[in-house]
Amino acid sequence: MTAITEFSIAVQKRVGRQRLLKAFKVLLGSVPFIFLIILWELNTQFVWFDPIEIPPLSDVWGAIFFLQSDCPGFVAAMQQHNDCNLTNNIMSSLGRVILAGVVGIPLGIAFGILAGMNRTISGYLEPVGIFMNSVSGIAWIPLAIVWFGVGWETTLFIMLNTIFWLIFFNTMMGVRAVPKVLVQGVQTLGGSYYDTIKHVYLPGAMPSVITGMRMSLGFGWRALIAAEMIGGDSGLGFMIFVSAVEFKTEEVFLGVILISLIYLISDRYMLVPLEKWTIERWGLVWKPT
Amino acid sequence: MSGEAKLIIQDLCHHYPDEYTGESVHALEGINLQVYENEFVAIVGPSGCGKTTLLNIVAGLLPYREGRAMVDGNEIHGPGPDRGVVFQEHAILPWRSVARNIGHGLELQRVPKEETRRRVQEYIDLVGLSGFEDRYPHELSGGMKQRVAVARTLCADPVIMLMDEPFAAVDAQTRITLQDELNRIVMATAKTILFITHSVEEAAFLGDRCIVFSRRPGQIKTEIKIDIPREERVWKDMASNPKFTNARDEILRLVRQEVTSDDEH
Repeated sequence: MTAITEFSIAVQKRVGRQRLLKAFKVLLGSVPFIFLIILWELNTQFVWFDPIEIPPLSDVWGAIFFLQSDCPGFVAAMQQHNDCNLTNNIMSSLGRVILAGVVGIPLGIAFGILAGMNRTISGYLEPVGIFMNSVSGIAWIPLAIVWFGVGWETTLFIMLNTIFWLIFFNTMMGVRAVPKVLVQGVQTLGGSYYDTIKHVYLPGAMPSVITGMRMSLGFGWRALIAAEMIGGDSGLGFMIFVSAVEFKTEEVFLGVILISLIYLISDRYMLVPLEKWTIERWGLVWKPT
Repeated sequence: MSGEAKLIIQDLCHHYPDEYTGESVHALEGINLQVYENEFVAIVGPSGCGKTTLLNIVAGLLPYREGRAMVDGNEIHGPGPDRGVVFQEHAILPWRSVARNIGHGLELQRVPKEETRRRVQEYIDLVGLSGFEDRYPHELSGGMKQRVAVARTLCADPVIMLMDEPFAAVDAQTRITLQDELNRIVMATAKTILFITHSVEEAAFLGDRCIVFSRRPGQIKTEIKIDIPREERVWKDMASNPKFTNARDEILRLVRQEVTSDDEH
């Protein structure tokens, strides 16, 4: 027992305890995935389900090359060449997420700050916000198709509608939670109304704004996929839908995996760094040790 | 005290509606007070006596209707950089480093960067925070945070510095250190200060003059001059200083009267 303990301490000293804990966490998290992949492979071996229902892993991998088979190359893919099926759909979905974010997030923050600071404005906007949030984003799809037809306007509207209200609500709550004494401190240093927004309310609401961003990325991405399936003419959702109709299950699987991968990557490389740079550095969030 | 009055309060009264019942609360009644240049005035009184209300009115954070309040001859309307406030809680901004917090007032007044840097360094040294310039408030102890708050207020160079129980939230040992340091800072900067406290010892130790407030509605009950030179005001010598102990006992007796008469109601 003591030998094991000594060995464990020696390893921890050599590699670093934090790094070991992190590696352990990654290991734990990957266990269910490994389990699923093994099950999947077993299904290919023993054919419990027909390949049309659950295609083999190799077919899903192959679908990438099948969908891109006519693509002349990387540059052509970036230029959205007509034959680069997969990359076009990915870029189309991503482009809409980015566009909706660029428009929806600043707009949501602006209205959220106004509503958080002003009781009258929040009196006007809060009930309609609750109403809008209670209606699930995808419930708007039929109406959006009537308004905008099938195409990018419909999917953009669905995303914007989802993102705006989430950011608006979270920002408003964040602004309200800013301690009054911080605002008074800046005022007594000679800060104007605008200064209090820039120096106090906006950074003070950051924890909530980031929560709002994370929620809108999740909900928005989901709403987008649904909107593309029903009211879109491109994008990963559209691709999944068309492939399913044509019984190309491996393409459906590929689409689903790509959707979750893109979400994971955007959370890790956009929101997490933003969190580190702002609220973690300022000590506004509790950090797990 | 010689010199001109920096803060003049005349016949100030204040009522405000109670947050829950809506009834009018009579917070201040007929306050007349002058604070002269380089003077340290401490206001002490039982809790709920309206002393913080008075400070908020002077800070411009609370509008008043009856009476007058002037700083440097100007009627008070809203907050301004001529009246710096050190709050009880930590009012420094968590998203600004120590140096950027201390220089915030100068930044808001559009003082050139080079001068800001020089003055910030001066006040960082004054409050003993050298080496902590780039730290964020959450990395500091409670006492250090209040040092930042004091330096931030002083660096903006106000006409009068208002302090609202600034050391109430720190531990007893730190409080004594901070009080000694504040004395040293007052000597070094020759600031005019209005200091609110519920601690009799603190008031007697720091104030050139102590104003004792009655219970609500807050009125000035008595004024006590404490004639101890700043250089002699060091905690380790205070127990043997009869001027200090006499003033402290007198203030304590007056405050006690207010608390006891409150109990009889």
